[in-house]
Amino acid sequence: MTKSTKDELLNRLKDAQTGKIPARIDLPPPFENALSKEELIEKFTNKLIEQEGVVYRTNNQTGTLEKLAQILAQEGVKKAMAAEDDVVKPLDLPAWGKHQGIEITTQFDYKNRESFKESIFNQVDAGITGADFAIAESGTLALVHDKYQARLISLAPILHIAVVPVERVVPVYESVTEKVYQGDNTPSQLTLITGPSMTADIQGIMFKGMHGPRRLIVILMD
Amino acid sequence: MKTVSLFIPCLVDLFLPDIGEATVTLLRKLGIDTIYHDGQTCCGQPAFHAGRRLETVQLAKRFVEIFETDEAIVCPSGTCVLMVKKHYPDLFADQPEWLERAKNLADRVYELSQFIVDVLGIEDVGASFEGKVAYHESCQLSRGLGVVEQPKKLIQATAGAELVPLQNASVCCGFGGHFSFNYPEISEALVKEKADHFMSSEADVLVLSEPGCYLNINGYLSRHHPGSKVMHIANFLTGSG
Amino acid sequence: MEIKTEQFVETAKRELKNPNSRIFLNLLPVVLSSLRELAMETFPDPDAAQEMGGIIRGEALARLPELLETFEKNASAAGAKIYWAKDSQAANEYILNLVLENQAGYITKGKSMVTEEMGLNELMIKNGIEVWETDLGEFIAQLLARPPFHIVGPAVNVPVDQIRDVFMEKIGLDKPTTDPVELGYAARRFLRDKFHEMKIGVTGVNFAVAETGTIINVENEGNIRFNKSSPKIQVSVMTIEKVIPDMKDAMHLLRLLCRNCTGQHIGSYVTMDTGPKKEDEIDGPEELHIIILDNGRSQIFQDTQTREVLRCIRCGGCLNICPVYGMIGGYPYGWAYSGPMGQLLAPLLLGLNRCHDHIWACTSCQACKVNCPAGIDHPGLLLYLRNKEVEGDSSLKAVPPAWTESLSYKVFSRIASNPMLWRLTSKLMRPVINRGAKDGKLKKGPGPLADWLKGRDFPEMPEKTFHERWSELKRS
Repeated sequence: MTKSTKDELLNRLKDAQTGKIPARIDLPPPFENALSKEELIEKFTNKLIEQEGVVYRTNNQTGTLEKLAQILAQEGVKKAMAAEDDVVKPLDLPAWGKHQGIEITTQFDYKNRESFKESIFNQVDAGITGADFAIAESGTLALVHDKYQARLISLAPILHIAVVPVERVVPVYESVTEKVYQGDNTPSQLTLITGPSMTADIQGIMFKGMHGPRRLIVILMD
Repeated sequence: MKTVSLFIPCLVDLFLPDIGEATVTLLRKLGIDTIYHDGQTCCGQPAFHAGRRLETVQLAKRFVEIFETDEAIVCPSGTCVLMVKKHYPDLFADQPEWLERAKNLADRVYELSQFIVDVLGIEDVGASFEGKVAYHESCQLSRGLGVVEQPKKLIQATAGAELVPLQNASVCCGFGGHFSFNYPEISEALVKEKADHFMSSEADVLVLSEPGCYLNINGYLSRHHPGSKVMHIANFLTGSG
Repeated sequence: MEIKTEQFVETAKRELKNPNSRIFLNLLPVVLSSLRELAMETFPDPDAAQEMGGIIRGEALARLPELLETFEKNASAAGAKIYWAKDSQAANEYILNLVLENQAGYITKGKSMVTEEMGLNELMIKNGIEVWETDLGEFIAQLLARPPFHIVGPAVNVPVDQIRDVFMEKIGLDKPTTDPVELGYAARRFLRDKFHEMKIGVTGVNFAVAETGTIINVENEGNIRFNKSSPKIQVSVMTIEKVIPDMKDAMHLLRLLCRNCTGQHIGSYVTMDTGPKKEDEIDGPEELHIIILDNGRSQIFQDTQTREVLRCIRCGGCLNICPVYGMIGGYPYGWAYSGPMGQLLAPLLLGLNRCHDHIWACTSCQACKVNCPAGIDHPGLLLYLRNKEVEGDSSLKAVPPAWTESLSYKVFSRIASNPMLWRLTSKLMRPVINRGAKDGKLKKGPGPLADWLKGRDFPEMPEKTFHERWSELKRS
């Protein structure tokens, strides 16, 4: 049934008069390509702040953990869930959290999808993740989702904290897609995050935290 | 170029002949003789916009026959020029012989201000006007033909005239030919907005280059703001009307 | 959504006088247009960038069958289930079957115009399945049973007290409030449980990338992300023209879409799915169903003119710049698609017989054409459709106009083809038209002039036409 629909459809399209493929034009390279590493970091930071993201910069892992402790205290976080990606895992947050008096779990602490969802939807106050890229062009985080980077951790809690090594700041979206979509190991999902979730659907009044996080805090780590 | 052929829109012929007369006066003042083919009637634009291709083709062929030997054809309306320049070739897409003739003709048709500024290379036509001038950018002229700066240059070169900004100058006045008759309420709401912007510009006159917009905006102002002044650019530059 | 395209004129007249609509129509297009212009300046060459959008869309359509096959191959290889749906009914039934098989009870939807086009909600409700729109604006519009006011702000015009009342009535808002933010959070709380417990999430698709088999969605609220993260089954509906060649093109169109839509550089969230979640992932859909919907588009594609309409990427930029939309808002268009893009899509999808006013309520001002990032000449295509209506084209379900109207154009062109007759007619018309003239102006007039003259004067026909004056002019 569906096969015949497909063939019928494609045949109809193929039978139609072919259109001409318009010639491509050369676009000047994006401004970001000319920026130095430090300028890219600055642009990323400014762009994210425009979207009401909060950006901190730290020198090393210790500094990052200090900043994290400060943020969690400020935001009154009692329970958090951390991803297991290559940025956050080395920080061993569950163990560190114990010293801080904060319960930090990872998805591997949950038997199944249901108990994981129950926790991320209803129990934790913050989700902590790394990021695979930070895009200067628009102050955008890129998260490649896989076994170690669950989708809901950066989405369901009211606060999302992302730790990003500065060397992951890249100029434009294509810097990301060219790396992620080469070869066979395509991720099931790539998410671009630019600021907290928002809406202006009632009377044009903009506010953050519509369905996703109300706050997005990024720690740029040297 | 010493002589141009006048392309007088039917709207000008029947309802606004002053615009046609001012066009002749202006061109003569600039040393250009005018000829007028008195077989001309209507280029077919109203029929074309009403989806009447068959009838339009008939009128388009007439137009081509009448005008095709002229060196330059000048018209005080962007809409009618766009009709000939852009839509005639579309209409004749499947009639190669006519398409060729239409394309040939298209290159020699000019809107009045375009002709004066771009072809004659004149900005100062020796006009004078004491006061503030607002300019309405008609749709077919500005977005259709890309003629925006030419009329403004002519106004700016007018002795005593000060070109002042008009809010939303490039937004449609709501005429749209039969649109204004088929949807009079929407059309009137649009022309009201245009009139409001003109009133708050505090200009002494609203100048435009399109007979259709003139009909619409002047019609609204005459009813609601009697005494306010709208002029086609030909009249403005010749101090007439 | 009930289709009300035939009520264009009466709804427009009502909306012209609706103060709640007026506030936003005076504001929203202006704000969005100026944000758009600012955002376009981030391109080194904004005009070239815009032109490139049209080039990509042109290529995508020229290669449509090939790209669809490539997309299917790559998406399937990544584990997505592709279903080719001939029409809305087929697509709706496919989703209904999924709901019934999985005893889902309800579905949630990310903002998607195509499921509006399909009438998915109606079919679900008829079968006792709840449907929840999860975009805040769509959610409010759904509760109020209204069509979208604007593609970006479907309910942006609805006053807060109306939202308060409908929230109290339908989603158990306990503390009455008219604070927009509080109302928003009330919707958040209500929908959050739906997101948590959902079994099936339904989304549209902004772009389908052939090269990688990836579908892309852009949003601000996070509702689409929930629909793609929480449930075990994700259904994403794309129409055939959503497919584009590669990721590079996708990124360029993404920039153009966001800039032309809301004036943003990018939406808060962009999700790019290639197949369902992997075995070892804890969230994301176990099944990703991609419905490739035709619903008349392959027929629209047949005609190289109407094919142009399929370039549209639904940015809504044409709404913000359209003078007519700016006066009447989205309701008169009576369906999922409004403004210039709706004036083309609705007649082609529903038939010219149901959308007469859509093709005529345009001043041909060309603002939409100039601003379109996909290279669509809306006014030109509307003229094409007008001609199809006049010809009574049956494939577009055109109802030709009354014979009297056709006759009047025949008579007009006959007269205009004969200068003698043209002069004679103008002479004969003068006293008829000028009857009732005062001080050179018509205040009341016959036929089509009557409504025009309600709020505007019309010049009387002068003593002499230009033609008649020419004989004197020639001599002077």
